[in-house]
Amino acid sequence: MEFARYDINKYSPRQMVALPLVLLLLAGILLGYTTLTTGLPLKPGIDFVGGTAVTAFTSDSRETIEATFSGYPLLSVGEGIGGGKYIQFGPMDDARYQSLVALINEKYPDAKVDQIGETFGKTLQSQAFLALLFSFIGMSIVVLIAFRNLVPAGAVVLAAFADIAVTAAIMQVIGIPLSLGTTAALLMLIGYSVDSDILLTTRLLKRKGKLDEKLAGAFRTGIIMTTTTLAAIAAMWVVSTAGQVQIISEIASVLLIGLFVDMMNTWMLNAGILKEYILRGGKK
Amino acid sequence: MNREAIINLVKDWRVALLLVLVIGSLAGIYLTPPDLQKGLEGNLQFGLDLQGGSWLQMEFQSVIVAYSTDKPVGDLVDNLQKSLEADVIQIDQNHLEIRKSVSRADLEPLFAASGAKIVGYQEGVSSFTADEVKRILNDKVNALGMQDARINLLTPTGSEYPQYVRIELAGVDMETAQEIVGKQGMFEIRIQTTGNETEHVLFGDQITSVGVPQRDPEYQTWGVGFALTEAGAQAFREAALKQGAVDNPGAHHLVMLLDNKTVYSAPLAGDLAAQLRSGPVRSLSATTGTGDAGLDDAMTLEIHLRAGALPVKVDVVGSGSVPAALGEHFKTTVVLAGLLALLTVGVVVYYRYREPLIVLPMLAINLAEIIILLGIARFIQQLDLAAIAGLIAVVGTGIDQLVIITDEVLHEGRVPSQNLYMKRYGRALGIIAVSAATVFIAMLPLALMDLSTLRGFAIITMLGVLIGILVTRPAYGKVIMAILSK
Repeated sequence: MEFARYDINKYSPRQMVALPLVLLLLAGILLGYTTLTTGLPLKPGIDFVGGTAVTAFTSDSRETIEATFSGYPLLSVGEGIGGGKYIQFGPMDDARYQSLVALINEKYPDAKVDQIGETFGKTLQSQAFLALLFSFIGMSIVVLIAFRNLVPAGAVVLAAFADIAVTAAIMQVIGIPLSLGTTAALLMLIGYSVDSDILLTTRLLKRKGKLDEKLAGAFRTGIIMTTTTLAAIAAMWVVSTAGQVQIISEIASVLLIGLFVDMMNTWMLNAGILKEYILRGGKK
Repeated sequence: MNREAIINLVKDWRVALLLVLVIGSLAGIYLTPPDLQKGLEGNLQFGLDLQGGSWLQMEFQSVIVAYSTDKPVGDLVDNLQKSLEADVIQIDQNHLEIRKSVSRADLEPLFAASGAKIVGYQEGVSSFTADEVKRILNDKVNALGMQDARINLLTPTGSEYPQYVRIELAGVDMETAQEIVGKQGMFEIRIQTTGNETEHVLFGDQITSVGVPQRDPEYQTWGVGFALTEAGAQAFREAALKQGAVDNPGAHHLVMLLDNKTVYSAPLAGDLAAQLRSGPVRSLSATTGTGDAGLDDAMTLEIHLRAGALPVKVDVVGSGSVPAALGEHFKTTVVLAGLLALLTVGVVVYYRYREPLIVLPMLAINLAEIIILLGIARFIQQLDLAAIAGLIAVVGTGIDQLVIITDEVLHEGRVPSQNLYMKRYGRALGIIAVSAATVFIAMLPLALMDLSTLRGFAIITMLGVLIGILVTRPAYGKVIMAILSK
């Protein structure tokens, strides 16, 4: 594996943390700006603002579908393999919705239809926010207890935070909306991200031996770990996207982005901070 | 590896536990009860999106208000009922359930007018009312002979009161689902004329409100109060006078019918008869009996009086349906995704270790983990699409951690001595335990939240992590040692 042969010891701690910190800053600016202008850090999906999602299998082209539903607040038409279509509508009043359902039943009787009301979407939004907050706090406490040492634990928490923030910013840039599925993926990312961080920290702080060798060893193991996870998630993404399984496709795409971001944050940000900490003699 | 080594390995408790759990899970999925027709699916429970069906999520149009007052509560309740034109029910010492969606700001002046103060305000209903809604919906579904219905009350995190009810009906399309939920029975009150003959008095549409079961302080009997429209009260009085029920209550039972089946029959009470003589009465009460039996009957009667209508108005806030054919398609897709995930993971670890004796146990352990997970899920969690995403995510983390163990043990390329091995193995498990704890904690909020449709995802992920740390990782450590030290 080319990655694994990359020499992680070539750079100074300062060089290592520079890129992740700049990206974290940019992500912060982007998410902050979006929050100021729209009230939310990310563009919310149907789950959080209300609307209707339709999954149908049809040979109709995107244009035909757009024409069919031109009288309704059509947001987007996504296409999969084998005629799978994922059609999204914004919120509408009940009468409009009933007529839409009738139209869908007539045109695509075998479609999956899901509808979320506007106010209920708001409730889901605040619940998801709570989940994210509790998760993050819980994770921080576990890490603190596990290392009982502020700098290494802080580095792990910072790396996890950077994972979520940078992944969220990338989602915003490439247009993946925040939904229940993607929120769950962000939560999952907290878990995944900490995995390799803990490996790194344990290897560097608890093993005997030369720092460079330990770091290179941890890097080898860490990269293979993340690659296997990536392989599983990539398979999940390919199949679910092709088969129009929207929720799994959403979860998988966020995890994919997140795992790449995590590689950077673990092996540059977290490793850089730890290296500096050890070089300064913080190690007992 | 020779025979003896294999026997020794199986005798190790970690490996034995793994084998027992795998066999137990397979038995749970396929043998309890055996069902050959279902083929590979066995007894696994699938969610609506894989099975086909419809769901409706409804919000109670009701609020719970905590109040304080030094005046009689009865006056406050009466005033509120009048000015809001809604049922108001005292649920305990200092909480009222107002069965109407009304804002706190709108309520403040009304409470002030009755000399009371609002101390707390939350949307939702009391658990008593929520259970009643659930019971009514259950009755409706059961009456239609539907096997596979799930009705859940949902309380948002941070609130004490149920605010939503979600109903999931397998194998039913949206239209039918809405009909079932909205359908009301025909309720009728008739009066006995002579013998078995009865005469129509009024229909359910003349009933304006139905109370909750209450116990008469004097006679200790349970009963349900209900109110009639003016026209209904008039018709009731005329029928009672015409049939002579006012003079001879015992010979003229009042009969209540729901969909033409008698649900209640009793004579007019003496004091009511006297009241009817002087004029129409709008508030009536039907008594059932004393003790627990009386209460049970009163609760049933209340539901009947509502004729299948829910005690609280509900608004549909979310709904969806999946045709069975599409559910089948999703099922095939996710099975494919799972297999492909396992396969690619196999290829990646093979590329790294190039040693079938390491890679095959890894994949076998991973597969065992999935089987155990499914075996447990069969009893506690239906598999929906999100839960399956969790399952695949578990494959990813699972292999991760087996890599940690392998690398830790194989450190410096040589197979270590027994002592050193155990030390490294313990250290690897330490890393895994911390990371398992974080995944567990990170998923916990999602698993505990009533509202999240991603509970399945969270629960499966957490279960996977637990099985991993408690069963499969320790077993893998033993297996890999036995293989390497051959």
